[in-house]
Amino acid sequence: MSGNPFDWIALAEYSAIGLLSGGLLALIALGFVLIYKGTGVINFAMGEFMMLGAYFFYTTNVMWRLPTLLALVATLAAVALVAALIERTVLRPLAGQPVISVLMATIGLASALHGGVDAVWGGANLEMPALLPRKPFTVGEILVPGQVVWSFVLAATIITAFTLYFRFSKTGVAMRAAASDPITAYVLGIDVRRTQALTWIFAGMVGAVAGIVVASMTSLSPALGGAALGVLAVIILGGLDSIAGAIVAGLIVGLIESLTAGYLGGKVRDIVPYVTVLVILLVRPYGLFGTRQIERL
Amino acid sequence: MSNSDHPTDLFRRRMVGAGVGAAGLAALPLHSAIAQSGEIVIGAAPPITGVFAFAGVGLHQGLGDYCEWRNATKGGVAGRKLRYIGEDSGYKMDQAMSVFKKIMGAHKPPVFYGDSTAWAKAAAKEVSQLGTTLTSSPSFSSDLADPKNVPYYFMAGPTYTAMGEILLEYINRTSRGASKPAVAIVYSDTEFGRDPISGIKAKAAALQMPIVQEIVTKPGAVDVSSEVAKLRRAKPDYVIFHGYVLAPIPEFIKQMREAGMTTTPMGTIWSMDKTTVDAMGAAGQGWMGVMPYRYSYDTKDAPTMQVIKDFAAKARPNMSYVPLFYTHGWLVGMIFSEVMERCLKAGKALTGVNMKAALESMDNWDTGGVTGLLASLKGHQIASGRIYTYDASSKLLEPASGWIKTA
Amino acid sequence: MRIGDFRASYAHDESLWPTRVQRAWLGVLAVALIALPFGANGYQVSLACMLGIHVIAAAGLNIMTGYTGLISLGHAAFMGVGCYTAAWFAQRGVPFFLTLPLAGAMAALLGLLVGLPSLRIKGLYLAVATLATQFVLVYVFREWDSVTGGVRGVNVPNASLFGFELLNDQRMYFLIAPVAVALLVAARNLFRTRVGRAFIAIRDKDISAEVLGIDLLRYKLAAFAIGSFYAGVAGALLGYFYRAMTPEYFTLQLSIFYLAAIIVGGLGSMLGTLLGAVFMTLVPELLRGIVASIAQWAPSATEILSPVQQVVFGLLIVGFLVFEPHGLLEIWRRVRRTFHLWPFRA
Repeated sequence: MSGNPFDWIALAEYSAIGLLSGGLLALIALGFVLIYKGTGVINFAMGEFMMLGAYFFYTTNVMWRLPTLLALVATLAAVALVAALIERTVLRPLAGQPVISVLMATIGLASALHGGVDAVWGGANLEMPALLPRKPFTVGEILVPGQVVWSFVLAATIITAFTLYFRFSKTGVAMRAAASDPITAYVLGIDVRRTQALTWIFAGMVGAVAGIVVASMTSLSPALGGAALGVLAVIILGGLDSIAGAIVAGLIVGLIESLTAGYLGGKVRDIVPYVTVLVILLVRPYGLFGTRQIERL
Repeated sequence: MSNSDHPTDLFRRRMVGAGVGAAGLAALPLHSAIAQSGEIVIGAAPPITGVFAFAGVGLHQGLGDYCEWRNATKGGVAGRKLRYIGEDSGYKMDQAMSVFKKIMGAHKPPVFYGDSTAWAKAAAKEVSQLGTTLTSSPSFSSDLADPKNVPYYFMAGPTYTAMGEILLEYINRTSRGASKPAVAIVYSDTEFGRDPISGIKAKAAALQMPIVQEIVTKPGAVDVSSEVAKLRRAKPDYVIFHGYVLAPIPEFIKQMREAGMTTTPMGTIWSMDKTTVDAMGAAGQGWMGVMPYRYSYDTKDAPTMQVIKDFAAKARPNMSYVPLFYTHGWLVGMIFSEVMERCLKAGKALTGVNMKAALESMDNWDTGGVTGLLASLKGHQIASGRIYTYDASSKLLEPASGWIKTA
Repeated sequence: MRIGDFRASYAHDESLWPTRVQRAWLGVLAVALIALPFGANGYQVSLACMLGIHVIAAAGLNIMTGYTGLISLGHAAFMGVGCYTAAWFAQRGVPFFLTLPLAGAMAALLGLLVGLPSLRIKGLYLAVATLATQFVLVYVFREWDSVTGGVRGVNVPNASLFGFELLNDQRMYFLIAPVAVALLVAARNLFRTRVGRAFIAIRDKDISAEVLGIDLLRYKLAAFAIGSFYAGVAGALLGYFYRAMTPEYFTLQLSIFYLAAIIVGGLGSMLGTLLGAVFMTLVPELLRGIVASIAQWAPSATEILSPVQQVVFGLLIVGFLVFEPHGLLEIWRRVRRTFHLWPFRA
C-alpha cells in the first residue's frame, strides 16, 4: 500500500469510522462521569453493567421472544433495579471510606457480576439480533458501516438528552447541586441520598444501552465487560467529572484507535488507550476539562 | 526481662493449642480414593468453562463417553476397565496445572488430556521428567508435533500449519485464470492464532500466491470496522481466518458482504463446527474450511461415526447434533486406548517410553472412518484433512474435496 | 488470661515476638513447615509452594498499598518482569541464588520508573496509571519475542544448587519456603525502622508528612521499588515452579487477586498478608471440595465451578470491605483478645 501517492481516501475512511465509533465510547464514558460526578467513585464495574444490560436484553428479546421495545424497557428496568440495589447495599456503607476501599468494592462487584453472568448464561459467544440498521453509508469512495453511523446518532441523542435533563429539569439540577456540594444541598432540602441512588440508576441504564449496542455490533459474551476498561482513556483525557470532556475525548480516542488500527495494525490498537492514559497522566492529569483537585491539610 | 506465665496456664494453653493444631491437620484431605486396582485412569483438564467453554464441554463428554462405551462393549483395555476423571480448567493455565498435579498426585494416570497450548508446553517438561504419562490436548500447535523434544505429546489431527497448507493447496488447485488468487489472513493475537502464520506465509510464497493483507485482532468480540475497511482496500479473493472459535468471524463476514466484497472466507478446525457456522446465519453461506474428521451426520462407510451417533443418541438424547469437539474427544479416547492396549498386549508396563513406542507403531491405523484415510501417528500427529463447504439452506457442511494428506 | 506481660526496655517492646509463648508457637510452626513435604501428598506440597509465592507477592503489595497508600493495579505485570528476567538469566546458566535478586532488581527498577510520576498523581489517578502500566507491560511481554518468547512463552531451566537439581515440587518447596519466610520477616522488620515509619506517615497524610520533613519523592519511590522487588522475586519463583511461562498468566485478574488478598487479610500488616494469602489460596480448594460433595445431587455443579469461584471471590471482597474493613487480621486479633482477657470479656 505504501510507495504510491498518499491514500487520502483511506485516511478519510479511517477517520470517519474512528470519529463515529467515538460516539459509543463517549456514551460509555458518560456512565463513568455520571458516577464520578455524583458519588466521587470510579466505577470499575461499568463494563459489567454493560454486560448485564446486554444479557438481560438477550434473555427478554431472544429467549423469551418479547418484542424489541418491550424487551428494552424490561432490560432498563432490571438494570436500574440492580444499580439501585448496589448503591444501597455496597456504596452507601462505604461512603467516606478511603479511596482504595471503594475502588476495590467496585472491582469486587465487577468480579461477582462477571462470574454470575458466566454461571447463569454460560461463557459461550451468543449472537445478538441486529438492532441498528446495517446498510453502509457511502460517500464517494468512502464506506462506513451502517451500525457505526447509527450508534453515533444514538449516542449523540442520549448524551444530548442527559445534558438537557441536567440543565433544565428539577431533579437534574438537584443532582448537580448534590454533586458539587452535598452539605449545602442537604441544607437546602435536597434529598442527597435519593440523587445519589438516581445517579447510579442513570449510569446503569446508560451502560445497559451501550452494552446492548456493543453486543449487537460484535457478539455477546461475558468478556463484554472488558471493553469498558479502554474507556478509562476517554475519561482521563476528558476529565473525570466533565460530560463535555467525555464527548470530546471520546471522539479523539475513537479517531486515534481507528487510525492506529488502519496504519499500525490491530495488535497496536489494543494498547493505544492505555498508552494514551499514561501520557495524559504525565502531562495533564486532570484531563482537558476536569476540575483540578485541591488538597487541603 | 521476660514475662513468666503461671506454669499450669501455659501447659493448659499448649495442650489446647496442640489439640486444635492436630484437628486442623486431620482435616486436610489425606488422599482421594485411589483407583481400584486394575482400573486404568484417564485424567483430563478440559476447558469446560471460560472462553473455550462450548468446545470444552464437547471434549469432556466425548472422552468420558468413549470410556463408558469401551467398558461396555469391550470390557475396557486388555481386560482393565477405564475410569475417566476430568475436572474443569477454565482455560486458565494455572488452574489446568493445578488440576493436572492433583489428578497426577492422587491417581497417577498413564494418560492425560489437557486444555491448551500453554498447558501442553508448561506440562511438557514435568511430563518428560516424570516419564509416566502420555499427554494430548486440543492444541494442534506445530511446536508440539515434535517426537524428539516433546516426546510424550500427540495431537489427534494435523498441525495448524498443516491445516493452513491444506487450505492453500486447495485454493491453488481450484483456481483457474491467469493470475494467482490473492489471499488475506486474519488471525488472533494469541499463541493459538499466531502458530501457523509463518508456515502459511512460506507455503503461499512457495505457491507464488500473494498475501495481500495480514490482520491481527484480539481474540473474541471486537469492533472490526477499521479492519474490514483495510480488507476492502486489499481486495483479496480468499480470507483465511485462524485463531478464533466464533467471534468476530460472523461480524467480519457480514460487514465484508455489506461492503460488496465477494471474497470466500475460510477457517481452520475449531471454527468448523456446525453450530458455530449456523450461528453465522446467512453470512455463513459459502463458508469453507479444513477439518480432519467426518461430521457426525456423515456415517456412510464410516462405522465409528455410526457408533458415535448411536451412543450419543442413547446416552444424551437432548443432543441432536454431535459436535466435532465430541468426535475429537472420542478419537483421543480411541488413540489412548489403542496405545495402552498395544503396550499391555506386548506385556510391557504403561510407562512413557513404552507408550511413545506404541504410539509411533500406529501406522496405517484404521480409525473406522473418523479421519477418512488410515492414520499414522509416527510424527505424533494425524496429518490429513478435508475441505468442507457450508450450505446455509441445508445447514450442513459438505465435503468439497477429497482427503488430503500433508507432509 | 495473659498476665505479667511487662516490657521494661524499648528493645523488648519493639521486638516481633515478645512473649515466650509466642516464641514457642513459632518453634512449632517452624517444625511444621519443615515437616510438611514429608507428610503431605504431592498436590498439597504444590499448593504450599503456590502459597509461598502468593505470600511474597502479597507482602510486596501490602508494603506499597497497605503501608504507604499507593494503590497498584499492576502488581501482576511486575511479577511478569521478574519471571522473564529470571528465565532470561537462567537460560544463560546463571544460578538461582543470583537470578532471584536480579529478577527482583529488574522489577524494582521498573517500579521506580512507574513510581516517578507518583508525586503528581495520587489515589485514583495512580490506580488508573498502574492499570495502564499493567496492560502496556503485558503487551511488551507478548511482542518482545527475542527476550520473552512472545506468545509462545519461555522455558525456565530447573533451579539447581551445585548440580543438585530441584526437579519436583518437594524440592522446590525447600527453595520457596525459606525465601518466603525470610522476605516476610524482612518486610515486618522494615516497619520497625525509620523508612517504614515514613511509609506509614505518607499513607496517613502525605502533605503532613512532607511538612514533617519526609522527602516524599524519595520514600514513595522506595515504596514502589521495594514492593516491586518482592513482586519480581515472586515472579521468578513462579517461573522456576512452573518451568514454563506465557504472558497470559499475568493478567489484571491476578493483580486484583493480590489486592483482594491483602484487603481480606488486613491492609498494613504482615500477619494480615499471611492470613489473606492463606485464605485466598484455600478458598478455591474449599469450593472445589463443596462442589465435589454436592456433585451427587447436582452433577452440573462442577461445570459452573469456575464462575462460581469468581462470584465468591467478588462477594468476599465486597463483604469484607463492608463488614470487616480491617480484614481477617481484626478477626484474629479479636479472638486473641478473647483468649488473653478470659474470663473477662474483650
